Amino acid sequence: MNASSLPGFHGFGLGLRIPHYSDFLDHRQPVDFVEVISENFMVEGGRPLDVLARIRERHPVALHGVSMNIGGETLDRDYLRRLRALADRIDPLWVSDHLCWTGIAGFNSHDLLPLPYTEEALGLVAENILLAQDILGRSLVLENPSTYLAFPGQGMSEAAFIAELCARTDCHLLLDVNNIYVSATNHGFDPQDWLDRLPLDRVRQIHLAGHSQGRDMLVDTHDAPVPDAVWDLYARFIARLGDVAVMIERDDHIPPLADLLSEVSKARDIADASRRQVA
Amino acid sequence: MNLRDWQKAFVAALAAGLVPADTDPRGMAVYANNYRTQLIAGLGETYAKTRLWLGDSAFDAAAGRYIDAHPPSSWTLDAYGETFVQQLETEYSLDPEIAELAWLDWHLRRAFSGPDAPSLDVRDLVADDWDRVEFDFVPTLRFRRVRSNAVAIWRAIADEVPPPAAVFVEEGLGARVWRQGLSPRFASMTADETACLDLALAGASFGEICTYLGRTWEGEQAARIAGGCLGAWTAEGMIQGLRG
Repeated sequence: MNASSLPGFHGFGLGLRIPHYSDFLDHRQPVDFVEVISENFMVEGGRPLDVLARIRERHPVALHGVSMNIGGETLDRDYLRRLRALADRIDPLWVSDHLCWTGIAGFNSHDLLPLPYTEEALGLVAENILLAQDILGRSLVLENPSTYLAFPGQGMSEAAFIAELCARTDCHLLLDVNNIYVSATNHGFDPQDWLDRLPLDRVRQIHLAGHSQGRDMLVDTHDAPVPDAVWDLYARFIARLGDVAVMIERDDHIPPLADLLSEVSKARDIADASRRQVA
Repeated sequence: MNLRDWQKAFVAALAAGLVPADTDPRGMAVYANNYRTQLIAGLGETYAKTRLWLGDSAFDAAAGRYIDAHPPSSWTLDAYGETFVQQLETEYSLDPEIAELAWLDWHLRRAFSGPDAPSLDVRDLVADDWDRVEFDFVPTLRFRRVRSNAVAIWRAIADEVPPPAAVFVEEGLGARVWRQGLSPRFASMTADETACLDLALAGASFGEICTYLGRTWEGEQAARIAGGCLGAWTAEGMIQGLRG
């Protein structure tokens, strides 16, 4: 498959989490798509796959992973084959993961660890993306993570690193607006300048989420409503993007579904207003 | 330092709660906190009833010791914590209900997303020569012998009613976990059923199981017990098929 052929999808959706499964199984919900955590469904059988199949009958589904370890020394081919089997089973909009590494030499941190943006890392990640796309049989969509470490003397900016990855591999992008806000605040750069350097035609999805103030830094906890600063940044970003799938992502302190659906509506309203303004 | 060496140094520091050279301790503190809280939360979710029984403080302390001794290696958090049961057995050797609750937690969790398998309908319980029949069980089935009333405690916690006090039980009793359709199940077993299931899983035929029971019970009673086990295992969706 030509990786660059991944079609866009215009719509507004939600990261589906366990407390809301029954809401989605019992009633049709006003979302254009849902995103699920891939690893929760890379299982041998049982209720998870049954739930996913029933939800897929009603909604397009994006698969979003946290364990591909695309910045790791070697990719886990068994993991990729399981992910491929899941993707073949549900025909997702796309398969995404994070621009990070999660472990090395048999250790898995289960966290999204930061990459130094060097030529060496660029070569490794590009090679891994090409292998992953080959095994998955589809273009990979990569998300910018929140980071808490900068690497003095590193070769390039995050945006330049991502742009070069797109050029070398034909991968696509998932912009997490909260993550870029968190990273920009923690490291003192301009998120607008970050966006200017990205190949915007590669963007397929946007995540909107909240964060917390840690002792020294903002922390990407995804456990709170989308704050005003992230909505403002989203309004500026969405005006410049084509058909993208916009989504509210809440990973902890999950509120009633109605609260999240109201954030989905707000995302839709802001996108409409921003695009009207540009037109 | 090349990327590989830097990554290895980073994870070594992360697991040990240290700060690698030339690294901002403020940022490293966020990753260190994420690492431990994520694993403790994962163990707490997997061993939910054990955590409620032990209390948050004792559970988190045990989980912390486990994390120090067993850095995670799998891509899925679901696979993390398999040997936590053994740790609890060692640390709480005088309170067997703790490790037995953990055993139930672990295997019910595994059964939830374990392999699918059709189960035999009672109407298909037909054989020409029952003495030679062997059993294929659903792949999620696990059993163990128990020393406590952990099954009753687990059930009470799940039902959100006051659990009974932990007590020792007579030798030879057992517990089994499996999945029937999409629903994980568990049950306590008499000493006879425990022994029969042990034999059946090891490949013993129905005739051999009856012979075993015949050492303790008279012929008719032995056949009644064996038939009762077979009926329960079938009705509860534990048997996938018959052989022989």
